[in-house]
Amino acid sequence: MAIKDAPVVDIIEFDLKDAYNPDRPISSLIRTQLLHLHHAENLVVPQNKQTNVNINTLHTERQAGEYIERVTALLHKYGKKAAKKARPKKQPTKTAAKKAASKSKKKSAQKKRTSRKAGGK
Amino acid sequence: MSQGLDKLEHIVVLMMENRSFDHMLGGLSKKFPKINGLAGNETNPDSAGNLVKVSPDADWRGQLSHDPDHHFPGVDVQIYGGAPFSPGRAANMQGFVQSYGTQGPNVQDSHAIMKYFSPEKIPVLTTLATEYAVFNGWFSSIPGPTICNRAFAHYGTSFGNVDMNMFLVSDADRAKIPTIYERLAAGGHSAKLYYYDLPSSTMEIVNLIKDQSFFGVFSDFVADCKSGNLPQYSFVEPNYSDHPAPDGTQLPATDQHPDHHVLAGDNFIGKVYDCIRINPKLWQSTALLIVYDEHGGLYDHVVPPSCTPDGFHAPEAATGVPNLTFDFDRLGIRVPAVLVSPYIPRGTVVAGTEDPANERIFEHASIPATVSRHFLDGNDMGTPREQQAETFLDLLGDRLRPDNDCVFFPKAMKG
Repeated sequence: MAIKDAPVVDIIEFDLKDAYNPDRPISSLIRTQLLHLHHAENLVVPQNKQTNVNINTLHTERQAGEYIERVTALLHKYGKKAAKKARPKKQPTKTAAKKAASKSKKKSAQKKRTSRKAGGK
Repeated sequence: MSQGLDKLEHIVVLMMENRSFDHMLGGLSKKFPKINGLAGNETNPDSAGNLVKVSPDADWRGQLSHDPDHHFPGVDVQIYGGAPFSPGRAANMQGFVQSYGTQGPNVQDSHAIMKYFSPEKIPVLTTLATEYAVFNGWFSSIPGPTICNRAFAHYGTSFGNVDMNMFLVSDADRAKIPTIYERLAAGGHSAKLYYYDLPSSTMEIVNLIKDQSFFGVFSDFVADCKSGNLPQYSFVEPNYSDHPAPDGTQLPATDQHPDHHVLAGDNFIGKVYDCIRINPKLWQSTALLIVYDEHGGLYDHVVPPSCTPDGFHAPEAATGVPNLTFDFDRLGIRVPAVLVSPYIPRGTVVAGTEDPANERIFEHASIPATVSRHFLDGNDMGTPREQQAETFLDLLGDRLRPDNDCVFFPKAMKG
């Protein structure tokens, strides 16, 4: 016996015009998703790669979807790097420490910004 | 060990959005009396003092003009009929219309919260519920909204959250309470969370930041089912928004969150089922759980039972209910849950609170508990809630139902 022997049950097909409305105002769930992704973007994505979208200007599912698509792709790209950064580093050697100190001066402004935003529960 | 359990290689969980048990499956009890649905005479008072009776005229969209409240204070009103917190107050499920009435333009509008679906209007879910196993006693983990409830499916806890806030789990906490995906990976097993597509993304953003390797999209799920490469544990998320596909195809949301079209979600459930059903080897070695994250503010008549506290406390400022510190010692409102496998006898109904002698109470911590017990022998870490949670794979018996005894939704595959 195979799938062809299975009792068939019909689904109810629906009118896509009645169902599909990307201009529908976003629900509190999608608003929450936007907030979480925005937070994640600031936390994980390098500043020069961020979308710089003001999520308060996103009101419809279409607008939200466009932002969510961009940020999700960025999180896939930068997420692992961010995870690696978060891991405790080994104690640097003297030479490595000098290099790190030099780099940290250049990046100090960006680091301060990241550490402020990283303080979630 | 039963034959069904012995052959089980894959567990798939599909978690939908925001519908209560009675709203979706309550109409089944007329034909299937063991299902603890609606008698038809259940009521809730409206703000004018009239009793509003449940009615089987829920529509696929357009009736819930605004998203029914399902945040902690709103659910507290729904469960306790609006009585202020006191240690001895009794739950009566009398505050649904009252709660919805605070959101809408008029009293009449608030009555929509008592509507439920006649079974023929959602054929996929109701067919699977009656063809396989339905749970009379599966409750959301918290009387609150999506994010904290979904967390229980992944961690077995919400880390003290009762709301929609993003919880960034520290590395220390994560080491103590890893996700079920991390636990499986550590045990040498495979696991994946499939969200629908990039514009829909996932509600598990905390996890997405940490480890992208656990994530896939729904087209991967379809392909993995077809090729026989499905991971041992899969968690599937529906499409959360109406948006176009890259080729311009219109993709309606399939999550059933009000006011998304319920049939789009019903057909999506059928598609997930069919993906497993049409691969003979996969079909015989997979258990599919279809469950909803929470009730979405919609009426259910069963009082949520108490449960094992999980060691966290949500203060009054978090619960939003005056004088109430929540100790995670009561479950949220009942949700639809259906387990599918060819090793489950047709018409299996798992008793809930209506049958105290045989009751089995499930909640979302039952998901990691079941997965852990099956793949990791239950020996890995688990939260107090997970350790106490009922597991569900004992429903798989010895007899493999033949192909001509297991339904198929051919048109769902085309959607």
